[in-house]
Amino acid sequence: MRDTAVKFEHISMAFPGVLANDDVSLEIQRGEVFALVGENGAGKSTLMNILYGINTPTDGRVFIQGREVERFDPKTAIGLGVGMVHQHFMLVPSFTVAQNIVMSREPRRARFLFDNAKAEALTQALVEEYGLVVDPSAPVEELGVGLQQRVEILKTLFRGAEILILDEPTAVLTPQETDELFAVIRRVVKERSMTVIIITHKLYEVMAISDRVGVMRKGRLVGVKNTSEVDEKQLASMMVGRPVLYDQLQKTGSPGEELIRVDDLVVRDNRGLKAVNGLSLSVRAGEILGIAAIEGNGQSELLEAITGMRAPESGRITVRGQDVTGRSPGDIRAVGLAHVPEDRLSTGVSRSASVSHNLLTGKHREGRFNAFGFHQRTSTIQRYAQEIYDRFDMRGAGIDATVGDLSGGNMQKVVIAREFSFDTPVLVIAQPTRGVDVGAIEFIHTRIIEKRNQGCAILLCSADLDEVFRLSDRIITIYEGRITGEFTSFSKEEIGFRMTGTRQGEGEST
Amino acid sequence: MKNRDKGSYFASLALSVLLAFAIGAVILAVAGFNPVQAYAAMVDGAFSNVRHVGDFLEYAMVLCICGLACVLGSRVGIFNVGGEGQLLLGAIAACQVGVVMNGQSKWLVLPCAALAAMAVGGFYALIPGVLKVKVKVNEVITTIMLNTIAASFCQFLAKGPWKNPNRNMVAATGQLDPQYWFTTLIPSSNLSTAILIAAVMAFLTWYIMQKTAVGFEMKLTGQNPRFAFFSGIKTDKIVILCMLISGAMCGLVGMFRVYGVEHLYRSSISNQYYFEGLTVAMIARYDPVTVILLSFFFAILKIGAQGMELSAGVPNQIYLIIQTVIIFFMAAENGIFTSVQAGAQRKKARAALARKEEQSHG
Amino acid sequence: MDDILSSILSPGTFNQMLRSATPVALAALGGAMTEHAGIMNIGMDGMILMGAFFGVWGSYMFQSAGMGILMVLAMGVLVGLFFALFTVQFRSDEFIIGTALNTFALGLTSFLSRSIFGTAGTKGNPALPTIHIPLLDRVPFLGAVFNDNSLFIYLTWLLVLAAWVFVYRTPYGFWLRAAGEKPETLRTAGIQPEKMKWLASILCGILCGLAGAHLSLGQLQGTFAENMANSRGYIAFACVIFSAANPSKAYLAALMFGFFDAIGLRLQDYISSDLTNIIPYAITVIMMVYVVVRGQQRRRQGHRVKAT
Repeated sequence: MRDTAVKFEHISMAFPGVLANDDVSLEIQRGEVFALVGENGAGKSTLMNILYGINTPTDGRVFIQGREVERFDPKTAIGLGVGMVHQHFMLVPSFTVAQNIVMSREPRRARFLFDNAKAEALTQALVEEYGLVVDPSAPVEELGVGLQQRVEILKTLFRGAEILILDEPTAVLTPQETDELFAVIRRVVKERSMTVIIITHKLYEVMAISDRVGVMRKGRLVGVKNTSEVDEKQLASMMVGRPVLYDQLQKTGSPGEELIRVDDLVVRDNRGLKAVNGLSLSVRAGEILGIAAIEGNGQSELLEAITGMRAPESGRITVRGQDVTGRSPGDIRAVGLAHVPEDRLSTGVSRSASVSHNLLTGKHREGRFNAFGFHQRTSTIQRYAQEIYDRFDMRGAGIDATVGDLSGGNMQKVVIAREFSFDTPVLVIAQPTRGVDVGAIEFIHTRIIEKRNQGCAILLCSADLDEVFRLSDRIITIYEGRITGEFTSFSKEEIGFRMTGTRQGEGEST
Repeated sequence: MKNRDKGSYFASLALSVLLAFAIGAVILAVAGFNPVQAYAAMVDGAFSNVRHVGDFLEYAMVLCICGLACVLGSRVGIFNVGGEGQLLLGAIAACQVGVVMNGQSKWLVLPCAALAAMAVGGFYALIPGVLKVKVKVNEVITTIMLNTIAASFCQFLAKGPWKNPNRNMVAATGQLDPQYWFTTLIPSSNLSTAILIAAVMAFLTWYIMQKTAVGFEMKLTGQNPRFAFFSGIKTDKIVILCMLISGAMCGLVGMFRVYGVEHLYRSSISNQYYFEGLTVAMIARYDPVTVILLSFFFAILKIGAQGMELSAGVPNQIYLIIQTVIIFFMAAENGIFTSVQAGAQRKKARAALARKEEQSHG
Repeated sequence: MDDILSSILSPGTFNQMLRSATPVALAALGGAMTEHAGIMNIGMDGMILMGAFFGVWGSYMFQSAGMGILMVLAMGVLVGLFFALFTVQFRSDEFIIGTALNTFALGLTSFLSRSIFGTAGTKGNPALPTIHIPLLDRVPFLGAVFNDNSLFIYLTWLLVLAAWVFVYRTPYGFWLRAAGEKPETLRTAGIQPEKMKWLASILCGILCGLAGAHLSLGQLQGTFAENMANSRGYIAFACVIFSAANPSKAYLAALMFGFFDAIGLRLQDYISSDLTNIIPYAITVIMMVYVVVRGQQRRRQGHRVKAT
């Protein structure tokens, strides 16, 4: 019998309007890898934030290494040996690796001065001790996400963590980086008998790394199993609360004329680097072209260039036979393109406006909504919005609700409903189901296939590879701004390989 | 604003006003004045004479148009803090048009003067507008700097090239021929027919912002410019256009001051009046109808304070203090309210949980 | 023409540059603190004005410039607390609070000045002495520039150094910058970022107060005039932006303002003072545009969407 590292007793956590954790009791043993799975909003992160002292539970008790937690703040949790690597890294971009790692426990000289040399020496010692190689004097903003995560892990180790919480650690990693991370996890567990809690919704990762797994649904812990005794299917049913069977999507028709064409496109990112570097592609009517790429390989910039959100440096973009290179989004929409953007909060909606106004946007100049061409017809607008609202099954607070108050799934439905109702022959869709619950995912997928069967040319990009496989007729892989492969029959291994490697004979990058 | 929000808005506004007057009373008492007498003198100063009523109506017009000019900018996400400079330049340009065109029909001179005022004010607002849109330079700094530049430049014109021929007038331009003056509506007050034009302007501004497709685009641009651009709205154009109109409105206020009250240009044309309008817009949370309503309230306060200074010897700046204290309360109201609300909701959640547990145990 | 040039290049100009730059530099140091802490502070003009008034008032009440400075320090702390209460605690709109603070300061100082002194301004109160450095006057040009200045000019150099060390070389400076750049980082490390914001706000109140005190008690020998900050707070804000809140660079930016202000004052013998007054403000606008354009060129953005 090993000792208990963490014990939750009847934990409940109420936020205004939602019970995020509902009477959760759980014990986690020292030296095990415990996976916590569940859908978005199931309460996994809330529970871990309680452990790390960010949230104070409304009810219940927490014991860490046998001691009851009396004050919930990160300082206390850190003192008790808890370390957390957040999904969004808690690193100051302009500081160096060492400066980030020693934060709040800075080595000093002359009592008041920050001792940078010592900070770097301490970091170097840590790097060598754990074999997690990173340059202590490099500014964090110059590191890739994989290395940034490494810095985060080193930071928790520097603070003396014995219980390590990893929140969705593989979301931004390449398969190789994921393997490396798992190797590190195994090593610290084995050599230092650390306890690792990993939050994820990728079930094959649960199988690969964890000793035990806890499943959460709607704030409740619905089951704890030994990983060796369950399979992915069982876990999926536990997560959703019913057997999961994806309907086979009915694809009909065959590709028609070419509606999107990109020739030798070069696009720079915000830092001025060539994110898209001489890329060409073409999408035909009645087909879905899926893009498989790891985040940050130029796919975002590619879609932005096609839709007019970003001016390309060179190359040519043609939509329905018209050259739209460098035109504004309004001009490109007029040609017949609609766009579901990857970041719905910053680009896809106006959070402070109502659902009806969000649905109206883009059509607000149409004659039917304006008397004498300028006076807005409020009642016509409301009727139109209600119709769309019903058709897209947005069960929320109604068309007068403020969009910022909606759940992620409903907000995404607002975006999809608006863009799909333009009835354009060309659709550019990015991350259609990011942060959306399972029910809504099925609905959205069906709509996308519907559009395809109606003869739309669809360019699809998603970080969720399964989604790309499920929807696409054809898949291209992009690595560092170039196409590294094109597939009509899909093999996960081959596509995964092309996503992470360069094409033979082409090694240089910008 | 929804009706429910409006109700709570006016409730907290009323509370803020009361608190501000209370704080004003404390400051008055500390400075050695009798607050009751001072406030009584303030009411007197605004209402004791029909002349004062005319004065405050005229000042309400200034506040209202300046406030709406500010709302127009904020609607598209740009803060026109430069209205003061636009107003001064509009005033001096309109005045000079009247002086140079002396002898022409007033039906020619007045439109020309108004056009000049709007063109100059609009152009002056265009500088920070274009800099913000095309170069992304913070408009607050540029507009403030341009205010000081405009004030100095107008002073230079009034003392130099466009100086009044009368030697006793130190820093003023030539005077307008009385035939060009706006007709005074209440004798010996500042109120002139300009207020009728202003009323039409206020209505149009409200209508365009709240009821038209262009107003809809403006709102979207202000709420989330990236989303507006993504949806095909020409955001750059709309921001620059709003800035242009905002500046033109300020320029026109300058013309109203010259042709309605001063009849020549001198620095008393505006004493930071635009900033007071901007303050009203902030207190009104940039809602056009509320700006119009509050303009009257603050105009009464200001004219009352001036009367108070004459009759009771209390410096009229107590008006600025009361006005800004109201802003502080209104700006903090949300913060105080949400923290109280969050606390209450937390309590409620705990209570609900406790009930639930009792039920499950019992 | 030679006349004008020699007048511009005289030691007097450079001495004036130092004097004009000092209040702007002090305020900019304060602004650098709030900027690093992630607070947009456009209320510095009001903070300066409060410092200018309360310095004179203290000096008048106690007939001692030292007491005036103490008064300024106390008021600086209060104003900083007040500013933080709204911007940090209540999370009010920084733009509204800053603007309101400026108008409030204008109203309060004018009101008090009229109530206490009976006029819009006051003169001849005990002022700060100038510092005479014995051997410096033997040095030809530099002696006239650097000697016999108000204490504040020398104090500012010390404060620039101190601020720089504080921001870039102490743990507190790291926390301050983290609080502005990524507050959650600090929170998850067990330090409340709000504390750093309060601290920055108080430091800013004090430094802006000193800037005002230099105007009224140093430069103008115990004089208060209505609205005597005269947009210096905004120029200081511009300096903060030019310098990316680096204290030493902010001082250089303030020196540049001082230089053009001094040139303007020199040119008053030849051109209307109303026109020469424009120079420093116009330069500020031009610099503002230049700095932003250069920054963009460096990054060679292909981005077309506003970052607002």
